Amino acid sequence: MTITIALPSKGRIKDGTVEIFERAGLSIASIGNDRSYRGRVEGIDGIEIAYLSASEIARELASGAVDFGVTGEDLVREGMPGVDDKVEFCARLGFGQADVVVAVPEIWLDVETMADLGDVATDFRARHGRRLAIATKYWRLTQQFFSRQHGIQLYRIVESLGATEGAPAAGQADIIVDITSTGSTLKANHLKVLGDGVILKSEACLVRARKPAHDADPRVAQIISAVQTALQRADG
Amino acid sequence: MPLTDMPDFAPDLLDEFSRRRTVRVNTPVIQPAEPFLDMAGEDLRRRIFLTESETGESLCLRPEFTIPVCLRHIETATGTPKRYSYLGEVFRQRREGSHEFYQAGIEDLGETDIASADARLIGDAVGILSRLLPGRSLTLTLGDQAVFEAVVKALGLPLGWQKRLIHAFGDRGHLDALLERLARPQPVAGLDPEIAALLASGNEAELVAQIDRTMETTGYSTNASRSPLEIARRLQEKLTLAETRLDGSALLLLREFLTLSLPLSEASAALAGFADAACLKLGPALAQFDARLAALANAGLDLSAMTYRAAFGRPLDYYTGLVFEVTEAGASAVLAGGGRFDRLLTLLGAKDRIPAVGFALWLDRIETARAPK
Repeated sequence: MTITIALPSKGRIKDGTVEIFERAGLSIASIGNDRSYRGRVEGIDGIEIAYLSASEIARELASGAVDFGVTGEDLVREGMPGVDDKVEFCARLGFGQADVVVAVPEIWLDVETMADLGDVATDFRARHGRRLAIATKYWRLTQQFFSRQHGIQLYRIVESLGATEGAPAAGQADIIVDITSTGSTLKANHLKVLGDGVILKSEACLVRARKPAHDADPRVAQIISAVQTALQRADG
Repeated sequence: MPLTDMPDFAPDLLDEFSRRRTVRVNTPVIQPAEPFLDMAGEDLRRRIFLTESETGESLCLRPEFTIPVCLRHIETATGTPKRYSYLGEVFRQRREGSHEFYQAGIEDLGETDIASADARLIGDAVGILSRLLPGRSLTLTLGDQAVFEAVVKALGLPLGWQKRLIHAFGDRGHLDALLERLARPQPVAGLDPEIAALLASGNEAELVAQIDRTMETTGYSTNASRSPLEIARRLQEKLTLAETRLDGSALLLLREFLTLSLPLSEASAALAGFADAACLKLGPALAQFDARLAALANAGLDLSAMTYRAAFGRPLDYYTGLVFEVTEAGASAVLAGGGRFDRLLTLLGAKDRIPAVGFALWLDRIETARAPK
């Protein structure tokens, strides 16, 4: 069996991952030329590297098309239902940190918590003739957090694929659910994160698709323990 | 591949529907998604099949019949009262069972005699199920949003707290969290000192003006949904609500109420006893509850075989009174579920308030129950 590891094809996450794999004794060599999107791990047979976009990695993990992937936890959790049955988060890699948060206009002086937001959402239709609108690309995470954790049902999601922080001022939505690392874009757009509005503290993770064939394959455990050991050494 | 044929007992169903003087309606399978998400909330999104028209309109495969039947009623404007019946396929994403299956049901719109409409509808659901499942013992569980609302109001809580509790009815986790907050109020923290001073002085006009100025300078005014006045008012209300504490005995009463579960034949006496012991005036809600029971008894239904469960409700804002579900005795699969939704038609755009009550039958589950064991 060939084990496929999907890695991000560009950016800081790619560089960080290659470096950790290097320290873990899993040096990656490109197949063909340097710009090729295929690679292999030197010294271990049958391990293939596929460079994909970060959001595709989540999808390929969900379908089991790849065995391992490195991508943001936010994308994995957003990308599939019943995530913990389908994949295993093997290691948190210590970079690509960002929080998925609920942010509301700063001027909503009366809204500091999810409970406040629940009150506002309950009354919203009566006051404004429509439901409270949330701009986000994270509809699954939003819905789990609002409905299941906070009992808030009455809102509408407005899909937003970019510049989400601008949606409230532009009148496309009332509040947002988005990813933030420093909070500076939120601040620049006069938004504030609710006190209990952090949905997920995400970072780049090594993720394994749960497949029965993995149990009998020593290379699977080898990859996981090599990465975990390299991370522990870096911590210590 | 599961079969998607109409169940073989469909003719019996249609016969029942016509005997019960309903008008059968059909609605398109492809529906605008907006009303479903708007009414039932975003939780529905992962459970329906969504698609888009070429022009970007959000469409879905019919996930249920109540909303399409009500929309059709509003559009055709044929007046009330009307009793509609339907039988057709619905489409839902489910972890278990097929994604497409048949539902049938009755929607009773515009009958102003609430108690007898409720009783007739329960009689319809039970009567039809008894015909489809002859000789089987059925269990009916009944709840009443209006009784819970009356209890909450009678406790003398501020309006804001009443709304919170009523909104959470049917969602036990959320309700418990609210009761916990009522037991241990937390003061509002982190207010800007300037704003806190304005609030303390009671100078609402200046508070509103200040919020307005900030909105202007941050470029938020143009498209602001919530006005400065709305924000200022809710801020004041929030401070009041944060100080509200429900004393131990009232909290105990509310919790005790929510644990009530007993045969429907004993429910009237139990509720009256509860109201007396707690010195709560539940007047109209209890009268309505009793009137419904009387109408059920008149219709020849056996109240001792039905259960009243005080905490049984649906956390959606258009349900207003009766909720019920029917299972086979000792089984968990809901064969019929229904309730009163007096607010739905207005929310969907009806000009007049139209009282409405209805139920849906899960035909795939009924088919399973009919199969020889």
